[in-house]
Amino acid sequence: MQIIYTDVLVVGAGLAGQRAAIGAKRRGHDTIVLSLVPAKRSHSAAAQGGMQASLGNCLGASGDNEDIHFADTVRGSDWGADQEVVRMFTHTAPKGIRELAAWGVPWNRVQRGKHEITVDGKKQTVEESDAAHGLITSRNFGGTRKWRACFVSDGTGHAMLYTMSNQAIAAGIPVHERMEALALIHEGERCCGAIVRNLQSGELLAYVAKATCIATGGYGRIYRVSTNAVINEGMGAAIALETGIASLGNMEAIQFHPTAIVPAGILVTEGCRGDGGLLLDGAGHRFMPDYEPQKMELASRDVVSRRMEQHIAAGHGVQGRFGEHLWLDIRLLGKAHIERNLREVKEICHYFLGIDPVNDLIPVRPAQHYSMGGVRTDHRGQSPQLRGLFAAGESACWDIHGFNRLGGNSVAETVVAGMIVGDSMADFCDSQEGALQISTALVEEFGRRERQRLVAISSGTGGENAFELTRLMQDTMTASVGIFRHGERLREAVDTLQGLQRRAANITLRSSAPGANPELVAAYRLKRMLKLAQCTAFGALQRTESRGAHYRADYPQRNDREWLRRTLASWPDADATLPTLEYEALDIMGMELPPGWRGYGDRDYIAHPDTERRQHEIDAVLAGLGETADRYRRQQALMPFEHLLPTHLRKRNQRVGDEL
Amino acid sequence: MNQIAVKEAPRSLKIRILRHNPHDPGSSPHLQTFELEEAESMTLFIALNEIRQTMDPSLQFDFVCRAGICGSCGMIINGRPGLACRTLTRNLPECITLAPLPAFELIGDLSVNTGKWMRGMSEHLETWVHQRDQDKADIDRLEERMEPDLAEKIYELERCIECGCCIAACGTARMREDFVGAVGLNQITRFRLDPRDERSDADFYSLVGDESGVFGCMTLLGCEDYCPKDLPLAAQIAFLRRRMAATGS
Amino acid sequence: MPKALSAWPARIDLLQSLSGLLLVLFIWAHMFFESSILLGEDAMYQVSRMFEGEPLFGKPYPLLVSAVGITVFVLVAVHAILALRKFPSSSRQYRQLHRHMGAIRHPDTALWYAQVITGFCLFFLVPTHLYTVITQPENIGPYASSDRVWSERFWIVYALLLLTVHVHAAIGVYRLAMKWYAPSGVNATRNRARLKLAMWCILGFFIVLGTASLLTYMRIGYQHADRAGERYVPAALHTEDS
Repeated sequence: MQIIYTDVLVVGAGLAGQRAAIGAKRRGHDTIVLSLVPAKRSHSAAAQGGMQASLGNCLGASGDNEDIHFADTVRGSDWGADQEVVRMFTHTAPKGIRELAAWGVPWNRVQRGKHEITVDGKKQTVEESDAAHGLITSRNFGGTRKWRACFVSDGTGHAMLYTMSNQAIAAGIPVHERMEALALIHEGERCCGAIVRNLQSGELLAYVAKATCIATGGYGRIYRVSTNAVINEGMGAAIALETGIASLGNMEAIQFHPTAIVPAGILVTEGCRGDGGLLLDGAGHRFMPDYEPQKMELASRDVVSRRMEQHIAAGHGVQGRFGEHLWLDIRLLGKAHIERNLREVKEICHYFLGIDPVNDLIPVRPAQHYSMGGVRTDHRGQSPQLRGLFAAGESACWDIHGFNRLGGNSVAETVVAGMIVGDSMADFCDSQEGALQISTALVEEFGRRERQRLVAISSGTGGENAFELTRLMQDTMTASVGIFRHGERLREAVDTLQGLQRRAANITLRSSAPGANPELVAAYRLKRMLKLAQCTAFGALQRTESRGAHYRADYPQRNDREWLRRTLASWPDADATLPTLEYEALDIMGMELPPGWRGYGDRDYIAHPDTERRQHEIDAVLAGLGETADRYRRQQALMPFEHLLPTHLRKRNQRVGDEL
Repeated sequence: MNQIAVKEAPRSLKIRILRHNPHDPGSSPHLQTFELEEAESMTLFIALNEIRQTMDPSLQFDFVCRAGICGSCGMIINGRPGLACRTLTRNLPECITLAPLPAFELIGDLSVNTGKWMRGMSEHLETWVHQRDQDKADIDRLEERMEPDLAEKIYELERCIECGCCIAACGTARMREDFVGAVGLNQITRFRLDPRDERSDADFYSLVGDESGVFGCMTLLGCEDYCPKDLPLAAQIAFLRRRMAATGS
Repeated sequence: MPKALSAWPARIDLLQSLSGLLLVLFIWAHMFFESSILLGEDAMYQVSRMFEGEPLFGKPYPLLVSAVGITVFVLVAVHAILALRKFPSSSRQYRQLHRHMGAIRHPDTALWYAQVITGFCLFFLVPTHLYTVITQPENIGPYASSDRVWSERFWIVYALLLLTVHVHAAIGVYRLAMKWYAPSGVNATRNRARLKLAMWCILGFFIVLGTASLLTYMRIGYQHADRAGERYVPAALHTEDS
């Protein structure tokens, strides 16, 4: 078996992976990126609407800053997020976007003068200032108090990914394409690389690295109806889980995006609603204001998706050829706006639905969209259990999203986490801890184990079909672990998944084609996906409350008293059919923003006794600072975070009118 | 939306696929026909997956986003290059012939190595913003201003998804393996337009001022006519040709 | 390190386009002069004398026609040599190209190929024509030309030349426009379609014009067949004589 040595190994070539690789490479470490597909085809490219960063340039964003971004994100997470990390994130996001601007992303810019915009179904005229002309502009998104989603038409992720990939090429970082990591090599609690399968030739090889970073995106494909790319099968998180040591956080926190087109399940951006688009029911009635008078169509995604399903269940849906759906109406935005800022949406409608959104309504229904859960990391992106293992982006549970992510915070996270994790991997490699002593015998042993697994699958005679079992898993997840969850259904889902896990041991391949053999790929991925599905379903069953996107019809309240905790799933026994769940408490006494009402969604929740105590403490601290303390000092007094950041990212962000 | 009042019997599609597995010494290129019943709103993405899952699990093809965004699924559909994921079977005749994109290294069946080609092109043409002082940008300060129209113009050219259809549609690229194609020339115009890129026309001339670059283009216009993103490739290449001709002569 | 700059690729590309453009302008002008026969034998006579420099020098110098012929020949040679670079040069390229065209059936690629084929034909036809022009410049006139067309059977060459040269020229102009100034902006598609329409109209016009002229030369040649070799005397001189 060929062994390739490198300082840093990054698994996944999306925005997070490539940014982390660039960071490590710039610090002088040899870095190799592995990718299932060519780097520029990664799912980051599919992000449409925008990247949240509190630049505060355009009129709708004026007055925006890290504090508001922080509060929006924590509220969006339904207080599931790690607030220190959210602070690191909101502080670094403007730097991330400015770096990308310097690297070549053609962000849309503020145009001085009068503009017509659509707000609450009506046209308004606003006037942008001369001072902001030519700076990066932003659009409105759900769950935010300011227009904060910076965008490149509706191809934001595409433009970001291309720029990032080009920078990685410029830095001379090799991307080994069509390579799949099958297992992490680890010696006790030290990760030292991965066993990798070449998806062209089927060969196995080993990459030995001081630091290994998982950046493989989400696991949306455990669901039947998902906006995710077909490669989003969560293999990075799964191989971390299969070490039996690293843990995955909040796997039950799955986001459903309100506007996926029916039936293809392809996303149309939240920018449609951010720019003024409306949701209509079968009778053509705009129903969101009935449920959410404050934020209407622009409540957070979990809330809007739930309201949509609730409205359909109440009999107000549209009966279409592919089941029930609702309408997204962007006709009121006008042809010029759609063809400039929503052109990807127009193209998708044209090709997949045969309609023109300038004149027609778009049939939509919520679909699985994002995985808040992933490899649990500390604030610098390292697994607390497995040293040398890092994670960034959607595949990580760094935890800025808690139980619901805000639109535009995902691409922002990829870039910011990439910046921070790239640096922490470099620090790690430079430190004593980074020194690696590993015998090739151990590497060979891991390689042998993976080869045996593949041989076992290839020679299986149990008669089960990998594609069939995959479909059953996906159907189970979509039917029973969806937007509305219920104890009984979840219990059934867990049982069904256990049954599928047993059946998956009896797969027989019909094809023995040399090379990658797509059927073999489906078979080994299925086994790993089933584990992720089980973490999700079992985690959801155990969490007897409703928080963010995790909604239990039988426990409809958020329960801070018992459940202000992060689920940690691990899989220590390879033969088990259930994960081991542990819980990590979130300490209210350290929070800058103690739990409360989000400003949208349901108002009733079971408070934690610490909430009131902490609020008093905060009030006292702020009163002690007096009126003159600026926002930085007030924040510092409540929850200092800057020391957690790499030193070069600690400076304040300049905004229009600020002296630095 | 059109409501179909009378439900017609679904068509039976005959999908002929040019198959070859270079990793199998016993394999040689051949056409294999699969028959399947057409479903409503069926795309080639759905059809090919159905074939793989129910008829031939060894069939190789590439899809990623399946939404026409990532550029993975370029293939030859009834003779013409296009994105399979967003091609609805109802817009095609009953007999559909699929072949891998030519001009790229074959991985197997419909899967070709566009990634390797594109990375090579990027390295060769240095498709990134060149700044003499890389770390000049102070990310704590206000970003450099840019005219809004210019940003939109750059994005217009940035929309390329490197799917390879322009290369497959190009008679020149088919004859000359070193031709950078519309995808490469378009990227040069994109970076030339970008004020953040400090390269001069002479720098660009050294990259595309020869037969493998802009002067190799014979204006066959396959790129313009088969670009899935409708990029203004002919106009961009013409523009670049004028600039490079002025620079060179 | 950027590779050393060579200006030649740019120059050659310009030269190919420029030589093509000049040749097209020449052939179109040529068509108008040649079709003066449609206005009568006198008109054509005047035109041919004009090109021999009679209005300028007082008497005809047919060598001037030879000189133009040689210039055109040089232009054609330059254009042909430059264009040859783009032709498929190996059997592999030839096979690739044919497979490509057979599968894609792309109209503009076919247009280029039509130029390749007509260009190849012109390779033989143009020298044939130019040879007579250069070596017998004095033999251009209402009767001399018509006799050549009819009695010497040159109409076959001219018919082929007419067709190939105009197909080549009209497509060439369209492709030249697309090559250097392809339409851009929101109306790019519409404007390209208009360009193409203009190409077909120009082609049709010159084919009709050329065919009519050729038929006229053939008719005159036929009527003049028994007196082949006799030079035309303009009507005005006839009147003075009698």
